[in-house]
Parts: sequence; structure tokens; C-alpha cells
Amino acid sequence: MPQILKSGLTSKHDYRYIGKPTERKDALEIVQGKAMFLDDFKLADMLYGKVKQSPYPHANIRSIDASKALALEGVRAVLTYEDVNQEWRFGWPPQKPVLSNKVAYVGDAVALIAADSDEIAKRAIDLIEVDYEVLEAVFDPVETTKEGAPQIYPDQFPNNIVPGGYEVMQPKGPFYELKIGDAEAAFKDLPFVAEDKVGFDKKPGTQSPETPGVIVRWDGGDNYHIWATSQGLFVLQIVNGTVIPAHIEAQAFNVGGSYGNKTAMTCITNYGILLARATNKAVKIMESKVEHYVMHETRLGSTVQAKIGMDKDGVIRAVKGRWFIDNGCFCNATQGQLAVGLGEMQLIMAKCTNWDMETRLVLTNKLPAGTVRGYGGQELNSCLSLLMVRAMREGNFDPIDSFSKNFVSAGDSYIWRNGLRYQARSVDYKNVIKKSAEQWRWYERWTGWGKPTWISKDGKLVRGIGCSVIGNADAGESFCEAYVRLIPDFFKKDCFVRVHVNVTEIGNGQKSNLQKMVAEILDVPLENVEYIEPDSRTSPRNEGLAGSRGTLTCGRAVSNAALEVRRQLFEAAEHKLQSPIDAMECYRGGVRPKSQPDFWIPFKDLVPDRHLSVTGYGRHDQDFGTPNFFMSYIEVEVDKETGMAKVIDMLGATDCGQIIDPGSCELQCQGGIGAASLDTALFEENLVDPITGKPLTYDMIQNKWRTFNELPKFDCCIEESEFDTNHFKAIGFGEIAGAAAASATLMAISNAIGVEIKQYPATPDVILAALDKL
Amino acid sequence: MKTTQVSFTVNSKRYTMSVGKLFGQIPPNELLIDSLRDRLGLTGTKIACKDGACGCCTVIIDGDAVPSCEVLTVDCEGKSITTIEGLAAPDGTLDPVQQAFIDYYAFQCGFCTPGIIMTTRAYLDKNPHPTREEVQDALAGNFCRCISHYHVLDAIESLT
Repeated sequence: MPQILKSGLTSKHDYRYIGKPTERKDALEIVQGKAMFLDDFKLADMLYGKVKQSPYPHANIRSIDASKALALEGVRAVLTYEDVNQEWRFGWPPQKPVLSNKVAYVGDAVALIAADSDEIAKRAIDLIEVDYEVLEAVFDPVETTKEGAPQIYPDQFPNNIVPGGYEVMQPKGPFYELKIGDAEAAFKDLPFVAEDKVGFDKKPGTQSPETPGVIVRWDGGDNYHIWATSQGLFVLQIVNGTVIPAHIEAQAFNVGGSYGNKTAMTCITNYGILLARATNKAVKIMESKVEHYVMHETRLGSTVQAKIGMDKDGVIRAVKGRWFIDNGCFCNATQGQLAVGLGEMQLIMAKCTNWDMETRLVLTNKLPAGTVRGYGGQELNSCLSLLMVRAMREGNFDPIDSFSKNFVSAGDSYIWRNGLRYQARSVDYKNVIKKSAEQWRWYERWTGWGKPTWISKDGKLVRGIGCSVIGNADAGESFCEAYVRLIPDFFKKDCFVRVHVNVTEIGNGQKSNLQKMVAEILDVPLENVEYIEPDSRTSPRNEGLAGSRGTLTCGRAVSNAALEVRRQLFEAAEHKLQSPIDAMECYRGGVRPKSQPDFWIPFKDLVPDRHLSVTGYGRHDQDFGTPNFFMSYIEVEVDKETGMAKVIDMLGATDCGQIIDPGSCELQCQGGIGAASLDTALFEENLVDPITGKPLTYDMIQNKWRTFNELPKFDCCIEESEFDTNHFKAIGFGEIAGAAAASATLMAISNAIGVEIKQYPATPDVILAALDKL
Repeated sequence: MKTTQVSFTVNSKRYTMSVGKLFGQIPPNELLIDSLRDRLGLTGTKIACKDGACGCCTVIIDGDAVPSCEVLTVDCEGKSITTIEGLAAPDGTLDPVQQAFIDYYAFQCGFCTPGIIMTTRAYLDKNPHPTREEVQDALAGNFCRCISHYHVLDAIESLT
């Protein structure tokens, strides 16, 4: 039975599977509880790993006594810094030893334990005695760079600043600042200039339901096999391979939510490597939910001091500023995130020719930042959008028109993450901006800047609207290879198809959608297409899902592989059908001339010896030339007495080129509500006690998520303009589906209450303070 | 040491387990979620928060949707427990809730889905014709981070 969508969303283009509502291939497993996740998997004689964590944000370890823990029956190993090579360091460039005699955040690893059971490992934690010399800590990303601030790595990174640029991200030279034209001179001629310090700095974690976990097996020498809750096995391999010398092979199961945050999983992966090697047994480390909150990598903190200049037509012409990136106690992925942030900044202000944007990668005594959806762009643009909107307000520009004028379109160029300049081609999002504004009745609702759209009779409740845009050229990032194999069924007349591409299912239905592409090209029943689970030993190379890249990059690789299979089948049929190759088509599991549909040959008669398979190879090469797009429209209602703001109506708009699957497309739009996107504007934050450095939002009681009875009305506007991207002319957008919603929400609140809000999240205390009620 | 037993039914199959601290016995502090997953191999019930906050481990006990991380196995004497694996009919026919979740594409990563389905089943058994708002309240203890909520509500609405 095909999927049923209440919205009726479907593609306007005529394919058999693509754009049509089909049942997700793994649906039956999921609703029966048969879908396999890491914690459902066991190895024989496996040990369980736990981490003894620091209660202090900054301290030297004077001594550790693990003798009582080691004496506990069932404990197989306890590792401390004395057991670990101090050159094995986290970070790009290398910063923090995997285990050190100095701890740098509350939750930092002091010792690692491997035991026969999780319960024994937990009991051993409290048996390890540690004597600490507590040091002064620093938590503020600006204060940490000032003279006299505590030094986290005093001999290595003076003033807690890490040099920007790293060759993994920029092999042709560092890219960590954007200096083009003369911004200061340009401001003199611009009528509308906004300048301020804005923070998107609460480092909210995306917090997937499934906690991060690894099972690590040492295979001798520097070889390790890792099963992980990772959305990107290749990234897990290369990031962790830079910490401890290790050749890693990796496998994944279904991933229970990641949102960009379960990829390298640097800490627990390396802890697992150390324990597996020390015990010569497979070791499983599955974080508890509290450990997930206090031990797992967070979003980077973003504080921006910037100045933006807009011309008389509402177009940004000059930007100058400094972006402080709070990495917590070490940075690796932020080297790429700052560069992507600088890139995305250029996409939303694509007509600007005067840039002077510097960055500061700073260290604080907090949890390390890692990869999170948004990847630098959401964090920087959530700040810059507020200044952009302020300039619009000063010029009394219509925001829809101004966002549309400023957003990148074909012909605009920008410098992307690798430091190279790219020119946008094919894409133009003005049409979807116009249509979505009409669908949401923006112009009927809009009452002007700083004005509510509705006030309750008692004046207590006010409503306001806002909007914002985001884009990301990472939709075409990196390489991807795929194999498609057409295999004759030994006992039946038809063939089945196997798709090999290194894609972990993280919830976006990408595995299912890639199978739809193959079924479409070969015109075989969707049930005859199988997906081979990702395994770095057998899967072709792919960077994994990140940055909305799966649809374009994996889609292109898989489609090209299927097209190669089709070409081989046509060649095999050429003689039999007496038809030129370009006059043939696949039809229902066979090949026929387009002009003679009755002359049909089943695939099985075309494969070598009727028993051998036909294999196609397809590839995508990195292409940053087609940025994607998402626009959020938000209506909020604010209680001026309590300061409580809630979103009551929302529309997500994109042009995805071609809908691959209506259900997953709609769900990706809706997915922008959670996981540190929309709700970063309202309540999601990773709070740290400013005195003790201890996390205050350490479990699901303290750290709230949006629940079923708190949903706003939500609609989608999805256009299909068929871009020059892959065989099906599609582009993904899942990562950015909520990235603009945060700044749109602050704009809506500001309009509702008539006072500008410039702090994330806009919790009741922030709103009441803005209203002078605190 | 005094040895006791605990007997209960899981998915129509009766189990009697020995309670104690020896190898293989159920210790008094063992949670039902761990017994289901580690002893019976019923891994469809998921562990996330283990605080009773997320709903991922929801099972049906004597007709009520209950987070199995909040229940001691030794307290299950005489109880009838249904997990996601026991929801379909013995011939494999899916429960209507499961089928509706497939039809309406009511999941993304699927990790929280078993818990949401179990809460839904228990709730519809008590209130077969709820409003959409009533369903939203009934599911307020089940978190989903991917935001499958809208499709879940559409799926359940189709059953009422």
C-alpha cells in the first residue's frame, strides 16, 4: 500500500517511483521493533567500558589510586594517563591527550574501566581515588582570550586561541577569515548600518533518542574494528585515525537519530580503542543519557561582534566583524565549521563585495564542540541574520523582498570551506520565496516592523510574524562511490538488484530513497531492490550523510551506477533486438526497443551465462556549485505578563529540484522543529553553572524537548525546479530545515512585543527583561 | 540465601524466573527493560533515558502503557506484558496501529517508534475515538526528536 499523506504532497513530474508516495523499504522492520540498532547487537565475551569523570572544570590530577577498582571481581582493566601515550591527542591541531594529568571540563575522563558487565564497571568508578589540585576555570569565549585568563594549554595555545585552518579541511591552504574589498570604506556610502554583539552561544546539543555508543575490537597491530552509532563511518575512520595511530574498519546499524552529532564520536571511540587494546577483547561503551548530556560533543558556541551595511535597495554591501567560536576544551571539526560558516554567510548575503570577517577559535573549560547539524552556518547566520534584519528594519524594507534580493542565485560566486571560489549555477530560489510568501499570506499578515499582528482584548497576548532564509553548498560536498549489481535469481525468471553505497539510515529514509532511484532507472519492482548495510570493508567510499549531501551526492553515484548497469544490458540486447542502444528502454525487468514494445527481453536473458551479475559503478565528485535553500515563516504568540513565547503557525519552504519521496520530503521539513533548530530560539540550551562549571541540563528532566501536545500548525511549500545536480535533478535540504527558524522566531517575537530580542534562546526571562519587567 | 521466583507473561508466553544474586538470577533491582532486552532478547523495546522521561521503553502491562525502565522485574508477578514484538497477530498480521504507521510514514529514525506505538495501542484500547488533541495529550510522554509527530497524529486519526 502506498504511503498516505494528509497534505497530498506529490511530485508534478511523471516517474514510476520517484516523487510518488511509496512505502519506506524498512517500514515493516521499524513498526515491529525489528530494526537493528547498536545496543541490540552483542559480541561474544564482550566487555563493558565506563568512564570515571572529573567533577571539576579545570584541575591537575595529583594522584590516582585504582587499586580498589582493579581488585573488584569482574574488572579487567583500569587505564589512567600513566598508561597512555601523551602524544595521542584530540584536536586539529593536536591539543588534549586522550587521558591526561589535567582535566579541562566537568565530565572529562580521568580513568577508563573495562569490566565483565556494565554494572561492575559502574561500581568500579567510585572505587578509583583521585586527588585533584583545582585550578581557576574560564567559560566565556571572549574573556578566555584576555590577558590573565586561565590557560588551558599554556605551552601550546597562548590566550586559549587555536590557529584557524587545518589541512584536512583546506588541503590547498588555510581558510579561516574572509577579507575582500574594503568594508570600512563601503560603510560610509551605505544608508543603513547595523552593528552589535550577538550570541548563539548556549551550545545546545541535538540530543538524539539513541545515546552514542561504540563496540571496539582490536584486531592486532594498529588495526581495530568498530561498530558505532555513527551517521558517517568514513568520518569516524579519518577523524579518530588522527588521534591514536589506528587503521579502523567500521560498521553501523540503524542510527537512532543523530542530527549531525553522532559521526566521529571522538572521545568514546578513542576510549574504546584504548580499552580494547588493553584487554584484547571487544569493549562496548554505550553512553547513558546523562553521559550523553555531560560527555558527548556539543554544538559550537557562537558570539559575533559585527557590522552590516545595506544599500538603499535593501541589499547588503559590506560586512565587518569578528566571530568568536567557543570550542569548549578542544576543537577538531570546528576547523571545518568555521569555514562553512563563512561560506554560508556569503550565500545569504551573496551580493556583498566588501568583507572583513575574522574568526577566533577559542578554548574554554566546557565540553568539546563537535559536529552538529548546522555545521557553523546555522551558528553564524543565526547571529548575522539578526543584524541583517535590523538593517532591513532601519530601511523599512519588506523582509521577503530583501531576503530574496540578497540570497545566492546562479552567477554569484563565493569562497567555500576548502578556500576555493565557486560560482553558483542552475539554482534560483526567488520563485519559491515568492510562492511561499503567497501561500503563507505573508503580505496580508505583515503589519510592519515592530508591530504585532494581533493583540488580545486584555492586551496580555500579542502575536507577531517573522521569516528567514538559509542555504548550504555542502549539498554537493565530497566524493561518493556506489555499486549497483543486477543479479539473476537462480530459481525464478527475474533478477534482483543490490545497491552498495556507504549510507547509514539515520531517519531521513535515504536508503529507501536511493533504492527508488535504482528501481526507477532499471524499471524493476521496488521490492526487488535490496540495500547492503554499510561496512567500510565492502562498501564503496563515501563521506556519509552530512550537510544534506545524500540526495545529490549519493543519488548521483547510485544513479550513475544504475545507468551503467542499464548501458551494459542495452549492449547485450543490441544484437538480439537489432536496435540501436539509444533507441532502447528498460521496461518491467527487461529491455525493449522504444518503437517496438512487443520485442521485450528479460534481464535474465541478457546477463552473462544467465547466472552472472551485471555490475555498474557510479561516482560523484565534489561540487560546491549548487547551494540548497530553506526558508522559515514563523508566527509567535507572546504572553507579555509571563514572557512565555510559543510558535503557533509555521511554514517551511524549499525548492528541492525534484521530490524523491513525498513522505520523507515532508518529514525533513518538519524535522527542522527539533534537534537544536527552531527550538534553539525558544528553550534549548546547554546550561553550565558559571561558578562550578557543572552542567545544569544533564538529563531529560532538566533538558526539555518539544512534546506531542506542543506542536505548532505546520505547512510546507515545496517547489521542483529541476536543477543541474544529478540524474533526477534533485537536491537535499534536511540539515538546514530548521536552521533559519531560530532567527525567524526572534524576528517574530521582536515584532510581537515591539522590542528587539537579540539573545538565544528567548526564554521568558529574556523577553521580560526586554520589556523592562525584570 | 532465600530464593524466590517471579512469574509473568510476555507476549502470551509465560516465564518463571528465579530471584537472587547468583549468576543467572534476577536481582531485586533489575529493571523490566533489562530483563526484556538482555534475558528474553526482546530488543524492540528501546533504552534511551532510563528516567521514565522519554517513552522509548514503553510496554503494555495489564492494559496500561508503562515505561519499562520504571518497573522492577520482581514487581511483575502475575502481570501480562506486551512488547512491540507481541503486537502483531500470531499469523503475522500487523496491529492496525502498526499498519497505520507504515501507511502514513509515521516515523523517521524509528528509535522512539516502538514506544509511541505501544502507548497508542494502550490508549486506543481505552478510548477508541479520541480527538486529535486527546491523542496529543496521551502521547505527551513519548518524545521524538526527528519530528514524526504530525505523521503519527495523522496515522492515529485514521484509526479513530
